[in-house]
Amino acid sequence: MSFWDSLLYDLFPLIWSGMITGCLYALGALGLVMIFKCSKVVNFSHGNVAGLTAFLVYGLSSGVLMSLSWGAAVLVALLAAVAIAFLIYSIISPVVFESDLTSTIATLGFGLIAQGVTLLIFGADIVALDLPIPRFAFSVLGLLITGYDLTVLAVAVVTIGALFIIIDYTKLGIAFRAISENPFAAEVCGLNLRSVHYFAWITAAILGVVGALLIVPTTFLSVTTVATFMLQAFAAAVIGGFASLPGALVGGVLVGVLMNLFTFYVSPEFSSTFLLAVILAALNIFPNGILQKVGGSRV
Amino acid sequence: MSDQATHMTPDQTVLSRLSGVATSGVTTTVLVAALIFMPFLLGGSWTFTLGLCFANSIGVLAVSLLVRYGGEVSIGHTFFTALGAYSVGVLDVRYGISLWASVPLALLLGVTFGLLFAWPSRNLHGIYLAVTTLALALAVPEMINNFDALTGGYEGLYVSTPFIPGVSMGMQRYYVALVMLVIVCVAVARLRLSRQGMALLLAKTHPSAADAFGTRRVWARISIMGISGGIGALCGATLAFSGSTVSPGGFTFWQAIFLLVGSVVSFYGLSLPRVLIGGAFVTLVPQLLSASGAWIPVFYGLALLGMILLGHYMPRIRKAMAQKSEVA
Repeated sequence: MSFWDSLLYDLFPLIWSGMITGCLYALGALGLVMIFKCSKVVNFSHGNVAGLTAFLVYGLSSGVLMSLSWGAAVLVALLAAVAIAFLIYSIISPVVFESDLTSTIATLGFGLIAQGVTLLIFGADIVALDLPIPRFAFSVLGLLITGYDLTVLAVAVVTIGALFIIIDYTKLGIAFRAISENPFAAEVCGLNLRSVHYFAWITAAILGVVGALLIVPTTFLSVTTVATFMLQAFAAAVIGGFASLPGALVGGVLVGVLMNLFTFYVSPEFSSTFLLAVILAALNIFPNGILQKVGGSRV
Repeated sequence: MSDQATHMTPDQTVLSRLSGVATSGVTTTVLVAALIFMPFLLGGSWTFTLGLCFANSIGVLAVSLLVRYGGEVSIGHTFFTALGAYSVGVLDVRYGISLWASVPLALLLGVTFGLLFAWPSRNLHGIYLAVTTLALALAVPEMINNFDALTGGYEGLYVSTPFIPGVSMGMQRYYVALVMLVIVCVAVARLRLSRQGMALLLAKTHPSAADAFGTRRVWARISIMGISGGIGALCGATLAFSGSTVSPGGFTFWQAIFLLVGSVVSFYGLSLPRVLIGGAFVTLVPQLLSASGAWIPVFYGLALLGMILLGHYMPRIRKAMAQKSEVA
């Protein structure tokens, strides 16, 4: 096969599927960035809590805990995610206003607890959790597009679109941006920091559940799958500068495509090492994220 | 990290510091003396476990040192412990060379890679560095498994060459760890008084003052990572010798978090008794809870949160108590 043929047959499908997973990384990264933007905490429990809720959906819909319909199970899991986010932030909020690094370490503690609880309830088994979506596939210009791809794309576009509309146009969104810019001034103007922090943490948890439910069909569900998935989300957030929502989106898609190309063309065994190299390179070349405007300062 | 001393008068501060130094010196001496005699009182398995405690204490110290002198949190120190452990393991198994050569090699590698890692991340701090170390921790097991010609892959390596020929291996595994821990603790205590230590602390607490005095922040950041990496590698080397096996299972991402938990549990202490608490926590909790594996992360998580909340509320409670007693 000639070079151009292989490019057409391998490269475009790789980029396409990388973009699909990249959308999911972006969903995870957006949650991390939302929390970081306003409360300056990196939520290391994000992946494990999302994993726990994905297991809840499995447990509630498969008959392990209950046999609800898929939709009802998702609803319960979303409520659980909101409750967990509320609980986590309530416990660490006194520390949040004192030291962001200490509260970041505290989120590691919640991550450990969420992982332990998952193990205690569901064990270390690997289970399958699929989405109730129509199965079909068609090909466009040599690209095989499946129902799953379109579902992911649609859900990601709707969720992210809704998020940006909330942040750009609603009062809550304006409060969120104000607090991210300057918490002191926002508080002086009468905004309640805590309630906006709650908004960010709860939204992030919901984004996490959506991302987890969409990524699970491509792999299986085990205690570590969602946590591992969130690590790519961390990379995406870092590449986007960790404080920029559009940056997280671009970072997610970039990580998805790059990881896909690396595993196919170089080696699937060194993917974490590659991720490390990408993070280090991104931090050096774009210390404030890829979408940061170039600015100067006078001394 | 501790601001309790700020609202005392200068005389009180100096006095309490001096008495603190004196008592901690005595405690440490008594503790070390007791530990020297421990193997004669305890059975073989406890001696072995204590050796591992000492080794993990060094790792906890490496993490705490980075927090104290650099103000940075690392969740990737298994990278450095793995470097140290595999330099001991590989030299022993592949070339039959004992600790005489492998410990200096471990230290050298630890410092070098600490500097190498710190250079690209020299402008990072706080959470950015934490996330980068997270990526570092994740890359470790993968690297170990893929260089299996050298590292033995999943099966790992068995360290069996004695440090001093002729002495029973059980005793060696214990005393080497103890001696290493004492040396590292003494070195860290000396660092506090050295020019480098002062410069690091200045760069952490008053960056602009440090700039004015000619200590560059970038250098402070790189050098503390080198020192911490070196100590981390020594932890790994000790862990390999005292634990007798080196395998990827000992250097997972979770292990890196456990080191951080140990550091938090010891309140980022750098003295020997404090790091021993952290090391004991890291070593003993998995052993005591080994029958119920799922409880280990829960317990670690609760301990981590408990210590953080304790560190947050204790000064307030103490203050409230003091005010109450003043009123009475």
